[in-house]
Amino acid sequence: MSMGPPYGPPPGYGSGHGPTPAPPYGPPYGGPPHGPPYGPPPKPPVHFSVGVHRLHVSTVVITALSIMVIVFILGGDSPVVKVDANGIALVLTPKALAQCLLIMLPVGAAAMIVGFWIWWSVKFHISGDDLVVETGILQRRNRRIPLSRIQAVDVVRPLVSRIFGLAEVRVELAGGDQAETKFRYLGRSMGEQLRAELLARAAGLPGHTPEAPERPYWRVGFGSLLGSQLLKLPVIGGLALFVALLAFGVVYTEPGVLAAALPVLLGLVRGVMAPLLMHTNFKAALSPDGLRLRYGLIETRMQTVPPGRVQAVRVVEPLLWRGYGWARLDVTVAGYVGERQVLSSVLLPVAPRHIALQLVGLVFPGTNAEAVRLLPAPRSWLRAPFGKSAAGTDDALFVTQRGRVCRRLDVITHARAQSVRLTAGPLQRLLRLGTVHVDAPPGPVQVAADNRELGEARAIVESAAGRAHRARAADQRTDRWAT
Amino acid sequence: MPPGSPRILPHGVPPAPQRGPLPPAAPAPTGVPGPSPVPLGGRAEQAFDPPSGMAWARVSPRLTWHRRIAVLLWALPLTVIGAFVLARTIGLLGGLIWLAVIVVGCAMGWIVAELVYRSWGFAERADDLLVTHGFFVKHLVVVPYGRMQYVDVTAGLLEQWLGVATVRLHTAAAATDARIPGLPARDAAVLRDRLAQKGEARSIGL
Repeated sequence: MSMGPPYGPPPGYGSGHGPTPAPPYGPPYGGPPHGPPYGPPPKPPVHFSVGVHRLHVSTVVITALSIMVIVFILGGDSPVVKVDANGIALVLTPKALAQCLLIMLPVGAAAMIVGFWIWWSVKFHISGDDLVVETGILQRRNRRIPLSRIQAVDVVRPLVSRIFGLAEVRVELAGGDQAETKFRYLGRSMGEQLRAELLARAAGLPGHTPEAPERPYWRVGFGSLLGSQLLKLPVIGGLALFVALLAFGVVYTEPGVLAAALPVLLGLVRGVMAPLLMHTNFKAALSPDGLRLRYGLIETRMQTVPPGRVQAVRVVEPLLWRGYGWARLDVTVAGYVGERQVLSSVLLPVAPRHIALQLVGLVFPGTNAEAVRLLPAPRSWLRAPFGKSAAGTDDALFVTQRGRVCRRLDVITHARAQSVRLTAGPLQRLLRLGTVHVDAPPGPVQVAADNRELGEARAIVESAAGRAHRARAADQRTDRWAT
Repeated sequence: MPPGSPRILPHGVPPAPQRGPLPPAAPAPTGVPGPSPVPLGGRAEQAFDPPSGMAWARVSPRLTWHRRIAVLLWALPLTVIGAFVLARTIGLLGGLIWLAVIVVGCAMGWIVAELVYRSWGFAERADDLLVTHGFFVKHLVVVPYGRMQYVDVTAGLLEQWLGVATVRLHTAAAATDARIPGLPARDAAVLRDRLAQKGEARSIGL
């Protein structure tokens, strides 16, 4: 990678992240060069620092509808549904419909009142350096979120909210499942303006700064996404099993086997379809307020990870991808925990390896993961029976590589290391080996140099601790990335 | 100071010089990417030694007793229930074998308690805290003060009765697990305050 950004602080607003990545790799990006690729016609901008704001009014209807659906399902004996020995049948006589209406009307009215109550109880505004969210009418709760502590801002649009032209805004903070603040739902343009204003203010710029321009970085085509999901050993194994079961059932005319084949098929559909639907239309773009990701077919997401919020990254290369030079890029961001960690930790679902590594260089400006020299751990089969592992470090990065079947390259910057550990189990100590861990916040990335010589391992611990100290001393600017 | 109290080191102990064979600039000596830059058997025995020029501050020997009492408290109900059940099903011999197993287990726990106590040690360097522990699986943790999110002191019922407490350091990484058990309660509070102060002085967020 010869075009890695130079050492030094990341460039400020307007100049983008270092030099433009070399001539268009990969498929062209079909959007306008600047500005959001989708967006409403310009409306007078909303200033969140002026006045008090509420969720979109349609939220009342959505809440009411969801309550009614729940009542309908739990309610059981509905006049229009007849359950008898023959199964379930719909009775659509005028009388039954009238009866149904009679029941649903008060339920609907009550649901509307509840929906209105919930909508009325949530208020928010930006006051100085804080985002203030007030909830509750009887029991008031007032949450102040320092903007400088925001880890990521996501705009999520599930199917229902897309029908209504709404969007959900999620503000992620470090510190567990409770630390997420959701705005469910805002109007689409209002959601995007809130996102832009939060990020601009968090960067230390005035709130009315227009949304930062962005530069397309990579788009994942549907073909390569489908191919990458199919070219996995578990998927191919499952497919083989399914075909074998089917063949067995046909040859021996044994229909019982089909009952076993069905769960396999369902598992396959789930394993392939879920990531496929989720990452369809995946676009990554660079902007001064962070890395922007847009993806999803049924539920669309727009994720923004501000610069300096990425704790660690991982380049994953399953066995069958390596022939094509493909890789996936996963990321640890302190805000994403639990379920959100699984859903939101992918930076690139599939891309050529050099593109993934180049993006690593962009999220950790001034570093070059590829240039880090990896030293293999001792190779004798007795000492490392489970495949080769290697580790390397320079002044900025600590890089480890593990796995023979599914190769993983874990990268963390010394400045982000939380702690350094050395562990040695009984067997390892017998072989004079130890494992060095460089700890990141909870996430998919686990940086560990497996099975190093014990003496060398301690030396790695000391040098990593020293480098982390120097890196932290040099890198004091995590709060305000634009000032 | 009663014997066995931790010798908590004073502030400003100079940082240990890098004692590793890795130069700070690059881990790899230019040349063939050989198996390892460190000769076999070089310093493997010293891998869990304190940083050079320092000694491990030890915890209170009451930690041994804490563990032994815990072992006995576990063993007591196990003995009664197990012996009763086995005596009813297999006979007197079964009960006696069970008793023998429990006695051997307790004896092992008794010895391991001492070994585990001896394995605990910590050292406060200028910029980070080192903690080592473990008899079967050895651990060494280096936590920079600036990475501490908070420090807390806990003491269970048994610990309170023995007058010891556990100091626990929390970073944003769940894997860090830096704790120092078996400190006399007063020393634990002092250590917590000092660590918190150092953490405050060097705090850098995430």
